[in-house]
Amino acid sequence: MAVLEKNQLISAAEDAVKAALKLGAEEAEAYTYEGQATNIGIELGQISKTNRIIDRGLGIRIIVNKATGFAYTNIIGDKAAIEATVARALSAAKASKPDPDWHKLPEKKPYTATQGTFDQKIVDLSPEDLVKITQTMLDAAVEIDKNVFPVEGGVGSGYVANAVANSNGVNGYDHGTIVECSLAALAKSAGATTPICFEFNAARDYTLDPIWVGREAAKLAATAQKPKPFENKTAKVILTQFALQDLFAYTLMGAVKADSVQRNQSPFKGKIGEQVASEELTIYDDGLYPAGLRTSIFDGEGVPRQKTPIIENGILKSFLYDNYSARKDSVESTGNASRAGYLSTPGVDTSNFRVVPQNMTTEQMLKEVGDGLIVYYLQGAHSSNPVSGEFSVVATPCWRIKNGEVAHSCQGVMLAGNIFELLKNITAIGGNERQMGTLIAPWVIAENVRVIGK
Amino acid sequence: MRDLLTRINNAATAQGAQYVEARAQRLTKTSLTLKEERVEAAKQGIESGVAIRALVNGAWGFASVGSTDPAILENAAVDACRMAKLASASLKTPIKLAPAKTVEDHVVSKPKKNPSDITVEDKIKTALAINKTSLAYDARIKSCGVDYMDLMGSSFFVNSEGTSIEQDKLYVWSRITASAQADGVFTFSREEIGSTAGYELFDQQPPEELGRKVAERAVMQLSAKSPKGGKSPVVLGPNVVGVFVHEAFGHLAEADLALSGGLLASNMGKKIGSDLVTFYDDGTLPSAFGAFKYDDEGVPTQKTLLIKDGVVSGLMHNRDTAQKFNTQPTGNARAEDFRVEPIIRMRCTYMAPRDQTVEELLEGVKSGYYFKSFRGGQASLDGTFQVGIQEGYEIINGEIGSPVRNASISGNTLETLHKVDGVGKDFSIDPGRCGKGQTAFICDGGPHIRLSEVVVGGSA
Repeated sequence: MAVLEKNQLISAAEDAVKAALKLGAEEAEAYTYEGQATNIGIELGQISKTNRIIDRGLGIRIIVNKATGFAYTNIIGDKAAIEATVARALSAAKASKPDPDWHKLPEKKPYTATQGTFDQKIVDLSPEDLVKITQTMLDAAVEIDKNVFPVEGGVGSGYVANAVANSNGVNGYDHGTIVECSLAALAKSAGATTPICFEFNAARDYTLDPIWVGREAAKLAATAQKPKPFENKTAKVILTQFALQDLFAYTLMGAVKADSVQRNQSPFKGKIGEQVASEELTIYDDGLYPAGLRTSIFDGEGVPRQKTPIIENGILKSFLYDNYSARKDSVESTGNASRAGYLSTPGVDTSNFRVVPQNMTTEQMLKEVGDGLIVYYLQGAHSSNPVSGEFSVVATPCWRIKNGEVAHSCQGVMLAGNIFELLKNITAIGGNERQMGTLIAPWVIAENVRVIGK
Repeated sequence: MRDLLTRINNAATAQGAQYVEARAQRLTKTSLTLKEERVEAAKQGIESGVAIRALVNGAWGFASVGSTDPAILENAAVDACRMAKLASASLKTPIKLAPAKTVEDHVVSKPKKNPSDITVEDKIKTALAINKTSLAYDARIKSCGVDYMDLMGSSFFVNSEGTSIEQDKLYVWSRITASAQADGVFTFSREEIGSTAGYELFDQQPPEELGRKVAERAVMQLSAKSPKGGKSPVVLGPNVVGVFVHEAFGHLAEADLALSGGLLASNMGKKIGSDLVTFYDDGTLPSAFGAFKYDDEGVPTQKTLLIKDGVVSGLMHNRDTAQKFNTQPTGNARAEDFRVEPIIRMRCTYMAPRDQTVEELLEGVKSGYYFKSFRGGQASLDGTFQVGIQEGYEIINGEIGSPVRNASISGNTLETLHKVDGVGKDFSIDPGRCGKGQTAFICDGGPHIRLSEVVVGGSA
C-alpha cells in the first residue's frame, strides 16, 4: 500500500475543520496520521514471524460553548466517513460540559525544521534486508556463550506522517522514519535461568549495529548467571539508562507536567527557582533535539517544538505545557502536547527528556562507586507512588561492584526510596549518553540508596 | 463480511499458505476523561479493519490493514505470504498448529443495559457523580480523575479450515484515581471496574460508593507509616492475591513464556507449592471482564487448571504451543484489535478458595502485614516478582493495626508458593488490564491467603 501524499493528509485535516465549522463548531482541530511498520520477529531463538501494519486515521476535536468533543475514524479516504466523524465529535461536544478554563485552540507560529528525523534509506529497506539484519543480530548473540538463549526480539522499520489543522490557522505536516533492532536473551545453566536481559538500537536514520545489540544482550545474560545475594544496606548505585527511564517515567516526568502541577499532583508545585536536585543534574526537554526519537516539527496541537529547561544545576526552572495548561497559567505552550496517533485528544507529555551528560567514563564511574551496585532493569517501577515519588522496586538482575569493578550478578535485590530524594543524592553523571524512548541520558551515580537484599 | 474474509483466505492459500485466518472488526468506542469536575473531552471513535495471518513454510506472515477494500486486502494477503516465505529461510523448527475443531457460530451479547442506549450526557453524569463524591469526601483530597470507556461491536473470524465465527463485543470499564495531600505527604489511590455484561455495572457498583472508596484510601494513607523492610509474614486480600497469581505465576504459565525459558516448562507435573495452592485461568465466568466465547484463533474458551494442590497441571496455550507440548489449545490466543496478532493471554486467573476465615488467617500472625489492595505488579521469567501495595496495615498479635504506605512484596514465585500456609473460604475477583506488548482485558482474584514469609519492601 502506497504512502499517502503530503497534500492528502493536509487536505483531509483541513476539510474536516471546514466541515466542522460549517456544522456549527465554534473551534475545530483535526489531526491526521499515517503509520506503516514492517517487522521481522524472533521467537524461541529463530526468525519465525513477520508483520506489516498500516494504520491511518483522523481525529477531530470540536469546541462548542467551551465544551470539548472528540471523535476519530480510521477510514480517511472517504468524505462521507469524515463528515460522519465530524458530526459525532460535534454531538459529543454538545453532550459534554462547559469548561470555564477553556480559552482557545493554539494560534499559528513559525516552525523550525528538524534535523535527522527522516531517512529515505529506512523507507527503502526491503523485507529481505530486514531478515538479513535480524539474522546478523541473532548469530552475534549465540556466539557469545553456549548457555545464552535469545528469547525474542526482532528488527523493524517504520514510517510515520501526520498533519494538523485548526480553525485558528494552524496547519502543519511532518513525517519521519525510525528503525529498531532488539534482542531479549537469557542464560540457562544447571536448572537455573537468568532474568531476561535486553539490548536494543533505535534510530531515526539508518545507523543500526545489530552485531553490537546481539553481543551485548548475550553478554548481559551470560554475566547474569550464578547470582549471589546482597546485604541490607544503603549503597552507592549506578543507574543505567534502563533503570532511569523506568524510575523517571512514573515519577519525575509526571511531576514536571503542568497538568499534574495544576491538579496538585506534583511535589514540584510552587518550587520553581528552588534547589530540587543535586547541582550535578541538568535536564532539558528538547523536542527539536537532532535525530531524537521524539523529535518533530510541531507537537500534537501544531505548536512548534522547542527546548525547555527543566532543571539546571539542580534548580527547578520550568514545567512542560500543552495549550490548555499554558493558557490556564497565562504562559506559552512549550510544545509538549502529545497524542496517541489519531486515537486520542492531546495531553501533556515529555518529548526528548535529556539529562545533560558530563565527562566521566564508565570505568571512572565504577571506580567512583567502589563497592555498590549497577542496576539495569527494574521491576515494579510502575507501582511507584506517582505523586510522592516513593518507590519500592526489584532490580533484576543487577550486578555488584567491588573494588571498582563489576564482580557478579545479584538476584532478588530491592531498592526503596523516594525519587525526589534520590535526585538530591546524585553525585556523578557519566558521559555515555544514549536514547531510550523519551529519555536521553548517560549513567548516573546515586548515593544513600536503600537496598534490601535479604 | 464473511465473503470478504473467505476471499482473503483464498488469496493466501493460492500463494501456498498451509493455514490462513482473517479477522475483521467493526467497533465503536465511547470514552470520557474527567479531571476533578471538568470533562476534559467526550470521545467517540470507530475502528474498522482486517487482520490477516498466514502460515507459510512454517513461518507466520501477518498483515493489518484499516480498510475493507477487497483488492487492498488481497494484496496484503499475498504480501504477508511473501514475507513469511522470506522469514522461513533459516527456520530450524517450523511452526505447526495443534488441531482445532471447526466451528460455525454467531455469539450475541444480551446486556440488560446496552451502553449504546445510554446517552453521553448520562455517562457524564455517572462519571461526575464519582468525581463529586471523591472530592467532597475530605478537604485533603486534591485531585480525582475518572476515565470511562465502553466498546461495542462485532468481530468476525474465518480460517482456511472452515471455521467461521461472528462474535459481539461489549466492554464497560472505568478507572478512578484520587490524590490527597497534607503536611507535605502525598498519597495516591486508584480503583478499576469493568464488565462484559453491560451498563448495569454501575448498578452493582454505584458511582458514589466508588468515589468514596478511592478517596477514603487516599486519605487513610496520609497518616500511614512506611513498613519495615525485610522478611515478614503477611495476609493478602483477594485483590493482592489476584495480582500475585496473575504476575508471579500466570505469566509463567503462558506456554510461549514457558518455552522462552520460563521456569514452568521443566516443572510440569511437579509439586511447586503448598497443598493449599490451586490456580485456574477461566474464560467462562459470566460477565467477567476477561470472559469471551472464542479466542482469536477460533478456539472455544474454557476453564483451565494450572496448579492443583501445589502440582503444576497445565499451561495456557495457543495452537502453536499446544502442538509443541503435544496437548490441546486452551483458547488463550487473544489480539487486542485488528492491528496486532493474537498471542497467549490470560482471561480470569484466580486461586481457588479453601476453608479458613479471614480471622483465622490473621490469628496466626504475631507481627506482620495485611495487604489489601495493590498498586501494580511485575514478574520475570526466572520467577522474580514484585507487587506494589496501595492499601496495607500492620498486623499485631492477630489484629489489624495502623496503615502502612508504599509497601511492596517481592520474591521468587516457587519459593513463595511453598510459603502459602493458610487459604480463606472467601472469594472475589477484580477486573484489570494486562500489558504484554498489547493490552488485554482480564480479571484476577481469589480468597484471602497467608504467607508464612515474604520480602516486604519499604523505606523504613
